[in-house]
Amino acid sequence: MGFMKRLFFGDHEKLKDRTIVDQAKEPEQPSSTKLADNVDYLTNEFNRTSDLRIRILEKGQAALMYLETLVDQEKLHEAIFSPIELGHVDDISKIPSSRVTKNLEEAIKALLKGHAIYIQDGSRHISQFNVTASFNRSTEEPQNEKIVRGSHDGFIENIMVNINLVRKRIENRDLTIKYFKVGKKTNNNMALLYLDGVTDPELVQEIEHRLKYISADMIHSPGYVEEFIEDQTFSPFPQMLNTERPDRVVANLIEGRVAIMNEGSPTTLIAPSTFFSFYQSSDDYNMRWFTGTFVRLIRLASFIIAVGMPAFYIAVVSFHFEVIPDELIMPVKQTINGIAYPPLIEALVMVVIIELIREAGIRLPQPIGQTIGIVGGLVIGDAVVKAGLVSNLMVIVVALTAIASFVVPSNEMSTTLRLLTFPLIFLAGTLGFIGITFGFMMILIHMTRLESFGVPYLSPVAPLRIKDLKDTFIRVPIYLMNERPKDSRAIQPGVVGPSREWKEVERSNNQQQPKQSIEEGKSTGSESGPNADS
Amino acid sequence: MKKVSQQVQKAVQTPTPNQQQKISRRQFFFLLIQTQIGVGVLSLPSDLHQVAKQDGWISLAIAGSLLPIILIVLYFIAKQFPNDDFYQINEKLFTRWGGVVFSILYIIYFCMVARLILLLFGRMISLWVLPNTPFWVLALCMVVVGLYMCNGGLLVIARFYTMVSILLIFLIVLMFLSFKEAHWMYLLPIGEVGIGKILQGSTEAFMSFLGFFLSLVVFSKVEGKPREKLKTILQAHLFTFSFYMLTLLISYSFFSTKELSLVTEPLLYMLKSFEMPFVARIDLFFISVWFVSVATSYTTYLYMASFGLQQIFRAKSIKLFTLIVSILIFSLSQFVGLDMERLEKYSTIVVYEGYALTFLMPFLLLVYVLIYKRIQQKKERST
Repeated sequence: MGFMKRLFFGDHEKLKDRTIVDQAKEPEQPSSTKLADNVDYLTNEFNRTSDLRIRILEKGQAALMYLETLVDQEKLHEAIFSPIELGHVDDISKIPSSRVTKNLEEAIKALLKGHAIYIQDGSRHISQFNVTASFNRSTEEPQNEKIVRGSHDGFIENIMVNINLVRKRIENRDLTIKYFKVGKKTNNNMALLYLDGVTDPELVQEIEHRLKYISADMIHSPGYVEEFIEDQTFSPFPQMLNTERPDRVVANLIEGRVAIMNEGSPTTLIAPSTFFSFYQSSDDYNMRWFTGTFVRLIRLASFIIAVGMPAFYIAVVSFHFEVIPDELIMPVKQTINGIAYPPLIEALVMVVIIELIREAGIRLPQPIGQTIGIVGGLVIGDAVVKAGLVSNLMVIVVALTAIASFVVPSNEMSTTLRLLTFPLIFLAGTLGFIGITFGFMMILIHMTRLESFGVPYLSPVAPLRIKDLKDTFIRVPIYLMNERPKDSRAIQPGVVGPSREWKEVERSNNQQQPKQSIEEGKSTGSESGPNADS
Repeated sequence: MKKVSQQVQKAVQTPTPNQQQKISRRQFFFLLIQTQIGVGVLSLPSDLHQVAKQDGWISLAIAGSLLPIILIVLYFIAKQFPNDDFYQINEKLFTRWGGVVFSILYIIYFCMVARLILLLFGRMISLWVLPNTPFWVLALCMVVVGLYMCNGGLLVIARFYTMVSILLIFLIVLMFLSFKEAHWMYLLPIGEVGIGKILQGSTEAFMSFLGFFLSLVVFSKVEGKPREKLKTILQAHLFTFSFYMLTLLISYSFFSTKELSLVTEPLLYMLKSFEMPFVARIDLFFISVWFVSVATSYTTYLYMASFGLQQIFRAKSIKLFTLIVSILIFSLSQFVGLDMERLEKYSTIVVYEGYALTFLMPFLLLVYVLIYKRIQQKKERST
């Protein structure tokens, strides 16, 4: 571990007190030969917590200690008592599966992990047995990232199971996993996954370095980690992709990105991420590429609709009525005429109502959630128009906006979009089209300025890299995506070799065959085979 | 082990080497065209028409074909100092303080152009879109955009310009709408006003290319060999020139000579007359997109001015200077506001200054640079 320390810390003096897995600096408490002293020390350290069980064995000569809330009783029996019952060994301390230590502090750690420890009077050795109980739910498809075709499993709260899901998909020695301990009080496990030889080592170092700086009592979700290590916290845009899908993580790892997993949360962070990666879904790659492209375009159009549609409507209605063609003016005018409020207020009210319905729907159990949808959507929508508070058109516009904002495959981006609607509504209400242009320009400039781990957020559009547009606005056939995008910072470019050569071969065979048959018919003397000119 | 740790530290200490990163030649291209195409597009046809009538396009052609001479002059100056930007060149040529004075001259000029862009933008918007909005609100929009973009540095500016250049296609498509109603007869008779007037018009036309001076200022910050950069500069010029020519031909073929003397923004009047099945008043969309083009030109001037100040004060960050320059431009522009007469007067001053500083000065500068280099070489030989 000293090696790790030197590697990441260099000679930084101020970093010395960070919470890192650093055995050399761990507090050490040598165990005593007296059983009573050891037990006393441990019980005191645990503040006499009630779930610390001490079983006195061998007529008071030995003690088995464990935290009963962490231990699986069956495993305990299997690991410790059955070998003795079966007569394999005559003493618990001689069971081969145990780990032995003389450090009481280490014993405390073991207890916290759910191990059982066995101490004998007259001996300084403490044997540890792994009897942790773990409760896992099944690896179901995540509710928030459902797809139509493709794999239907998802991450769960256990980091080991999650890494297992990834390893099963990448059977490669280059898949490297680095564990970290974060959270001064909670001591959570965190894992960094990357594909060695593909991922930029500087990127890995950079992320490790930022993770080392985290100094917080609790890291309970990737959202925490995200805010500690992302480049720009003062930005509405998420700079790391959140996903609960193993296939998405695997695809990103292969592209040369880094995944960060957290014990206790199914969400995995992927860095670096660009704006367009939030618009990619596993589904795109299971469709025909025409359809994939079409869906991609619809999703990206939904960005503009979700952010700009209410603003555009307000600008038209309150400033630029002349934009509406002659035939439409009368119907539009009629719906607006009876409304007492200016369009700006109208829109704000409706957008806020939609947000209320959405937020209420999430928290409530499923059957009631549907009721909320009906009451909110149908009853309020209809009544509000009939009461003359909001115009019909406004309801249509706001509903379309809400639908468009849900099209994004990533929940974070969808919330961002809904948030961005508000400033644009205000700008449109005060400056019309000029305000909208101004707003969009500010958003675009902001996105151009953003960087996610050294990668421009809007790449490959700004900076423009025409080659990498293959997986942004369009999705070209997989065999044409033969190079890794530059925005993953991968050091190894190729990802798909020539895979459709069979077609070439087939074609050349077809050309050769008539020739061959003629030759065969003519004579057997000629040496020119089918491969002669290839 | 130590070696590794040093490497790690190095990687950590310089996570974003943006400041030193150069812009690509493609970005340079878009930087140039976005700077040149700006406020002028809308008024250029009528400006030329006032002088040269329907032969304004000939004036533009003359100006457009003569301008590469100045571009090449700028290139020769920049080529002598491959690693220095414009302001550093000044200090090398005229010693520290002489260079500062010379740079400040240009910085003031850039600020004045930025202010002019702001004023013209405000006027156009209040004429066409928002007649009741006070000038300062419109100016504030522009200033905020410029400030935010400039603070990102040249790289962000270049990326943004490249990205929004797709809007130029939108503008061109909108302009092509008029082709079915174009009357090419309006361009006849060619050469009616006489060569004198046409040449006078071409001096007017030169002004529409003013942004080209940027090529000297950022020359050293572009990747590639000097010759390749020159090629990019010329390509950008060709693009701008064709774009202007298109706007000119379209507005001259749509309106007759008599009509043109009445309309100040022929393109907008033309678009106003069209109606598509789903939108009327295309001119409003055109202006909204044009706003982006204006913002890009404004930002370039803001950048050039504050970059100059940054070089003079040897400061690390440009942010303070963009803020100062922005506030300066914003508050000074309030004195003119939407007052037409003063705006006209002010614009003639800026135009003359532009002639002096960007058309004449490069020639003098080139002569001086060549002499300077000769002396330097002699010095080197003697030592």
